[in-house]
Amino acid sequence: MFSLRALALALCVSLATAARLTVSIPASALLPNPATLPPSTHAVLVGPPGVRYDAPIRRDSTFLFPALPAASYLLTLHSRDYAFPPLRIDVSSAPAESPQQQPMHAWQTFRGNEWANKGPSYGAGHGELHVHVQASSPKDFYQSRGGFNLMGFVKSPMILMGIVSAAMIFGMPYVMENMDPETKAEFEEMQSKSPITGSGGAANQIQNFDLAGWMAGKTADTGASAGGGGKKK
Amino acid sequence: MLLPLLSAATLLLTPSLAVFQDEAFHIDYHFALLGAPKESTTFFHQPNPASKASLIYTLSEEGALGAVNPRDGSLVWRQLLQGQHQSNASFLRAGEGQDLVVSGSLNQVAAWSAEDGRLAWRTATDGVLRDVEILELSDGKEMVGAKDAVALSGSHGAQSSVVRLDGATGAVKWTYEFDGSDEAYQVSASSTHIYAILLHKTLLGYLRIRVVSLDPVTGKKIDEYMLSSENELATADTIVSVGANSASPIIAWTDAAHSTLKVNVVGSKAISSFTIDQHAGETVARVQVHAPYHINSLSHFLVHYETATSHWADVFHVDVNNGKVTKAYSLPKLAGKGAFSTSTSDANVYFTRITRDELSTVSSASHGILGRWPVTSFGVVSGIGEVIEPVHAVSEVSVKGDAVSAIRTVVLLSTGDWILLRGGTATWNRPEILASTVAATFAMPAEVEAFAERLQAEASSNPVSAYVQRLTRHIAELKDLPALLVSFPQRVVNGFLGTSEDDLASDNFGFHQIITCATRNGRMLALDAGNPNRILWNRQVADLKKEQAWNPRLASSKGGEVTINSQAGTGFRYNISNGEQLVSILPVDVEGDAKAAREVRFTMTDSALDATVDSKPAWHFSPASGQTIHSLVPRPVNDPVASIGKVLGDRRVLYKYLDPNLALLVTKSSLTLGPSNTATFYVLNTVSGAILHASTHNDIDLTSPIATLISENWLAYSFTSAASATAPKGQQLVIGELFESLVPNDRGPLTGNQNYSSTISTPEPYTLTHTYQIPEAISKLAVTRTKQGITSRQLLALLPDSGAIVGIPYNALNPRRPVGRDATKDEQAEGLLRYNPVLEFDPKWLLSHQREVLGLEEVVTSPALIESTSLVFAWGLDVFGTKISPSFSFDILGRDFNKFQMLGTVAALGVLTFVVAPLVTRKQVDQRWKFL
Repeated sequence: MFSLRALALALCVSLATAARLTVSIPASALLPNPATLPPSTHAVLVGPPGVRYDAPIRRDSTFLFPALPAASYLLTLHSRDYAFPPLRIDVSSAPAESPQQQPMHAWQTFRGNEWANKGPSYGAGHGELHVHVQASSPKDFYQSRGGFNLMGFVKSPMILMGIVSAAMIFGMPYVMENMDPETKAEFEEMQSKSPITGSGGAANQIQNFDLAGWMAGKTADTGASAGGGGKKK
Repeated sequence: MLLPLLSAATLLLTPSLAVFQDEAFHIDYHFALLGAPKESTTFFHQPNPASKASLIYTLSEEGALGAVNPRDGSLVWRQLLQGQHQSNASFLRAGEGQDLVVSGSLNQVAAWSAEDGRLAWRTATDGVLRDVEILELSDGKEMVGAKDAVALSGSHGAQSSVVRLDGATGAVKWTYEFDGSDEAYQVSASSTHIYAILLHKTLLGYLRIRVVSLDPVTGKKIDEYMLSSENELATADTIVSVGANSASPIIAWTDAAHSTLKVNVVGSKAISSFTIDQHAGETVARVQVHAPYHINSLSHFLVHYETATSHWADVFHVDVNNGKVTKAYSLPKLAGKGAFSTSTSDANVYFTRITRDELSTVSSASHGILGRWPVTSFGVVSGIGEVIEPVHAVSEVSVKGDAVSAIRTVVLLSTGDWILLRGGTATWNRPEILASTVAATFAMPAEVEAFAERLQAEASSNPVSAYVQRLTRHIAELKDLPALLVSFPQRVVNGFLGTSEDDLASDNFGFHQIITCATRNGRMLALDAGNPNRILWNRQVADLKKEQAWNPRLASSKGGEVTINSQAGTGFRYNISNGEQLVSILPVDVEGDAKAAREVRFTMTDSALDATVDSKPAWHFSPASGQTIHSLVPRPVNDPVASIGKVLGDRRVLYKYLDPNLALLVTKSSLTLGPSNTATFYVLNTVSGAILHASTHNDIDLTSPIATLISENWLAYSFTSAASATAPKGQQLVIGELFESLVPNDRGPLTGNQNYSSTISTPEPYTLTHTYQIPEAISKLAVTRTKQGITSRQLLALLPDSGAIVGIPYNALNPRRPVGRDATKDEQAEGLLRYNPVLEFDPKWLLSHQREVLGLEEVVTSPALIESTSLVFAWGLDVFGTKISPSFSFDILGRDFNKFQMLGTVAALGVLTFVVAPLVTRKQVDQRWKFL
């Protein structure tokens, strides 16, 4: 319905004046070949209530609005693959002496800001205006899964700890064997004093726990010394 | 008891924001449709003169122009022309050896690149287009470059005109305006003349055919004459054909009773008359003429007669020198409907006949059959007992010597499918009927619903009886064990390769719901949401006349069946798995207490909304002066809410204002009254008529869509605002949430109340709203629905401009986002971010991702059996569906669950255990010996 109205409006206007707006998409680093844009790419010009123009992409990657009446328009480009910045296009009434010379001006505009807040100018013209709009970003639709990554897996602290302890378990006997006897003896001395693995350590205590003795009322001290009494040295 | 726990669990889950790469194209489906193609605007054409392969071009009844690859039926490109759903004539032409196709609809003539569908040029004519033709001149010098187009236009009662448009730029070369107010009918071009055919109304109300011939180069009138059609033509409907662009274009018409056929070769005044044979007393219902569309081909044509039960055809030859028309031969009468297509190869003309079970090709010169192919199946589904008939067809024939070496025919069938026959075998079909879907609904298959009910019963009864029930169910299921064991290896393999396609009965997740669609032409069809590439059934349910609307509404009250209410009748029920109509016995609700359920009826007109309770007027709503009611949306009937409050970051609770009778009403300034463009949005209690919330917006573009939605305790609407120096221009999305009180842990006036009635007192809600500026217009809003409403919600919005459907997480819209300050720690714990007035649609939110979904009008959602997932189905021109998990799939293993990795880990751990076990034992033994 509104397109019909817009068409009718365009029709009346084309008889009187013809402000012609061409919007082109130049090749840029982001979009090296605008010819790859899908044919569904189109530009929408929204004017005052009820006025709306829709132009499909042309073979030379431009959009053409052949006859615009005087108004302030919001130009949005819609494409499947790229996002484009919105523009404000102003078409003023033509001066009486030259009805074909409607002043036209294009600026960048920012969503969420008042309409008077204009960005950098995109060009100005009289009766005809050619605007270049570069793609601002490609659209990325997909979220990638945090898939299995071996390096990331190895880097995680838990795995690092596991690797270190594995190295200790497998590497220690060889290191011990290759040590000179004195250091070895010193090391064993140290180990026996360590609270966990040493003879008085928790692990040994649990393994060698004298249940019968404990039941018989033996004190922990004597139990520990009894356990310790059996050691070499 | 379980619910608070579950909701606490979902609070911890971050909402899913995106479509995953590995799920895209697997969980969603999309039919990129064109709509039913029209016979006159469908043809094979080489996209550029150098290529040998041709594409099928069509302009459909839905106003979609597109190119289809004949190899697999895939869409190459498509453009929506203005005038969707309008009965205006539209045209599509392609010049021989041209890389452009020229379309005409409304008052726009446009040329599109045949290869990629980009616009070459577009020109507006003064009146509504009546015909468009390509000028094929044979004088040689104008054949270089693009061929020009001729357009005939004329509005009713206004002057008609012919324009010649430059083929390369669309610039007007000349215009010829006709005198008088005769209705423009068609334009036809021969190699030397342009003929415009107009219909002149005589004093007695009959039509006479007026032919004006123009010079193609200058646009000057050469000659003009009236054909003496006497009193045969009462309406333009009995004009059978005005052949165009052939060596000798013809005009053919019949009288209203279809008893004689009159043929005139355009350019001469002689009329040849032929009596139409009345076979066995059957009246001819329809006469069609099929003529070649090439200027260099033989001037032969075929007349196709159709009665209610049979069809036949006559072939006529035109003598180019003296304009005499003679009947050459007849094709025999066959039962059923048939379709004829015309193809040319050099100057030769071939007619292909498609019947229910056979395809045959004859040359226009003689009746000897050049090729015959039996058609065993069209490869489409239909209703029970329905015979599939061809409606129209277009063929591409290649002839070697005296036999047809290859033939490809695209046929529109009576089921609305568009298929390609290579020889006599169907190679692909496009369900173009879905493009005319006007209503659709989800329905659960009976088996699945029965299963869900059993589970429900187990969950809600006491543990002992639940255990007994489950045990008996498992024992009953034992009988399926042998079959399961047989299929088990296959299932495991399928599960690992991700190729499992479960059948309907074994759907424990509720993904295989059946979508029934009702179409504009009175058919109904069903799709399986879990396996959508196959249409389950497709049948005619209403017998409609042309252009008759039936406004169907579909609903599924019970598993396994769907109820259709329309202007054709109410309460018709169909079995969703095979489309069989169920005998309609009015269900008597034994348990329903008539007194408990008091009925509220609503009557809405443009200027008032009235409610009656027990047939007594209850309340009346009339909009402010100068305003009319635009729309009314109630809260969905099935809208489960898991929690009555919102848990804040500090574990206090804000109570939601929950009322099942909420509705969102929109009034707007009537366009006839004054220029003020305002719209007011009211939240109503539909029982008491109380207005709970109202907001007015000025400077709204009322011609653009206003989308509204109300669900749970929140509402959303979107509109386009006009420019003013101080306000932003563009589309806005407003979201509002209703609370009982804005003080945490306080229920306001309802504190301590167990029950309340909205007819006695309506406490007013506290409403928070936020407005967001969005990048493009929204034509329709919907919300995801899950079984218990625990999963966080997504707002679904149809974006017509970018051809997409977007799922906006509710948290991004939350009206409690803090304004002008950063979120506090407690707010951050809730997932609230600082308010930003601009809401850009992240491309990752697009449910349709890379797909271009054009012309969508409606969207429905349905809960699956598992809580995390909601099914979505959208229709319009295209059909799109997907399933989404707004809080991730927390109750099902998705594609992200790597079965190989899991097995690998288990295997590696097993190996490790075997390797390490002896080492550890040895170490322990050694230690014992060392220290003891």
